[in-house]
Amino acid sequence: MADKPDIARWVDEEAKAIGLPIAPEYRANVIVNIERSLAIVQPLLAVELEDELTPLPVYRP
Amino acid sequence: MTDPTSKAATAAEIARAVSSGQAKALDVIEATLKRIDAAEPTVNAFTDVVADRARRRAREIDAGQHQGPLTGVPFAVKNLFDIKGLPTRAGSKINNDGPIAKRDGALVRRLEAAGAILVGGLNMGEYAYDFTGENAHYGPSRNPHDPTRMTGGSSGGSGAATAAGEVPLTLGSDTNGSIRVPSSLCGLFGLKPTYGRLSRAGSFPFVDAFDHLGPLARSTKDLALSFDAMQGWDPDDPVCTDRPADMTMLSLDEGIGGLRIGIAGDYFAKGGEPECFEAVATVAKALGATRTVVLPQAAAARAAAYVITAMEGAQLHLGRLRTRPQDFDGDTRERFMAGALLPGAWYVKAQRFRRQYRANVLKLFEEVDIVLAPATPCSAPRIGQTMMTLDGVELAVRANLGVYTQPISFIGLPVVAVPTRAPGKMPIGVQVIARPYNESAALRVAAHLEKQGVCVSTPA
Repeated sequence: MADKPDIARWVDEEAKAIGLPIAPEYRANVIVNIERSLAIVQPLLAVELEDELTPLPVYRP
Repeated sequence: MTDPTSKAATAAEIARAVSSGQAKALDVIEATLKRIDAAEPTVNAFTDVVADRARRRAREIDAGQHQGPLTGVPFAVKNLFDIKGLPTRAGSKINNDGPIAKRDGALVRRLEAAGAILVGGLNMGEYAYDFTGENAHYGPSRNPHDPTRMTGGSSGGSGAATAAGEVPLTLGSDTNGSIRVPSSLCGLFGLKPTYGRLSRAGSFPFVDAFDHLGPLARSTKDLALSFDAMQGWDPDDPVCTDRPADMTMLSLDEGIGGLRIGIAGDYFAKGGEPECFEAVATVAKALGATRTVVLPQAAAARAAAYVITAMEGAQLHLGRLRTRPQDFDGDTRERFMAGALLPGAWYVKAQRFRRQYRANVLKLFEEVDIVLAPATPCSAPRIGQTMMTLDGVELAVRANLGVYTQPISFIGLPVVAVPTRAPGKMPIGVQVIARPYNESAALRVAAHLEKQGVCVSTPA
């Protein structure tokens, strides 16, 4: 990622936006988990999808 | 013949003995309750034992009622299944303040209709967001093969109770690997059926897109017997299939003739400890499988499964995270909170990608009938261990025990986890994966491996 996001700010602002109070003692670990999610999601973000590829409205395996 | 009141008895052996009058259901239940009392201080598998109910049911069976293929078989369920008269804990403290279940979950009712006897509810990771079997409220379930080690989760109590021989049969749930991971770490056979195959009615949800229910046992026959008894459409679960049931017992002993078996390469051949690849090699050799196949974009599939899980799970619990954060297990709370803050674009992309990945994997299943892959990247870590080194990389235990199971449940494929165990080592499992609705092929392969003595599950 070229510009590393400010995850602490992300957590504070997004939590405010959705009305989720995050107590100070939980905040550091929420940030760690967002960082972990960012690392794990990269292979998905790297995939290019055709415009026609919509989600399955009724999922059948 | 195995003593039907012993811990080594399988469900099939107990049912045969009770049905034929060689054993009394009540004697089986009393022996089971005694074993539970003796094992619990070590394994911590049960959160609820319904002794009076089990004895009552056993007496009815001994009087000739409730006869079926599982007559007199004691079983227990992960405590996210509704048990009439109890709160459905789902591993949480919060749900103890919730409603008392008015009736049993659908699969509990189906097993009891087949003659089985419920003896209790089992420990699990809070709200099923777990691969370890640890729980801050109820204590960790402990691996019967080495109580200092994890059972795996989130169906940790299901793994512990079955591997300790407390009961021959348990039910668990599997959203990302929660049947297959404890099966691997506890040395059990576990079946995660096709998505939608078994009703989820009367169970506490986690991630609707991936939630599956299924059995854990010490023999493939017990998996097949219980799976057959639980199949069938249920209007109370909108995802439950209306396909006719496939009676897997009928083909269980047909062997592997005609089945094309591949070994998952690429993503599934790296990132784990040597023991997990040795387990796959052992199973592949026994099956005469040599062909390597690639599930394309498996790393992206794992990422997508992670995102959908984090976001659906967080949305489900958002109200409780706002009002009772202090009552969550510290190991799930901040993960749920983080999931609530992830971008919606990730979720939609993950769902769109699922369609592409499903199409590509189904194409692969035109060339093979079965794919083999590791179940877990390592055998049981120590209880309390938070980091592990896999293939030279230090990784979080919680997020990574399911790296090989997540890309499979992501598209709802049926899997039987089969146990292997090298001398002097802890057990480790292999996934036997089939195309949708072909549980019978995976069970046939597992039965063949069991018959050959390659995959054996012995109570600790």
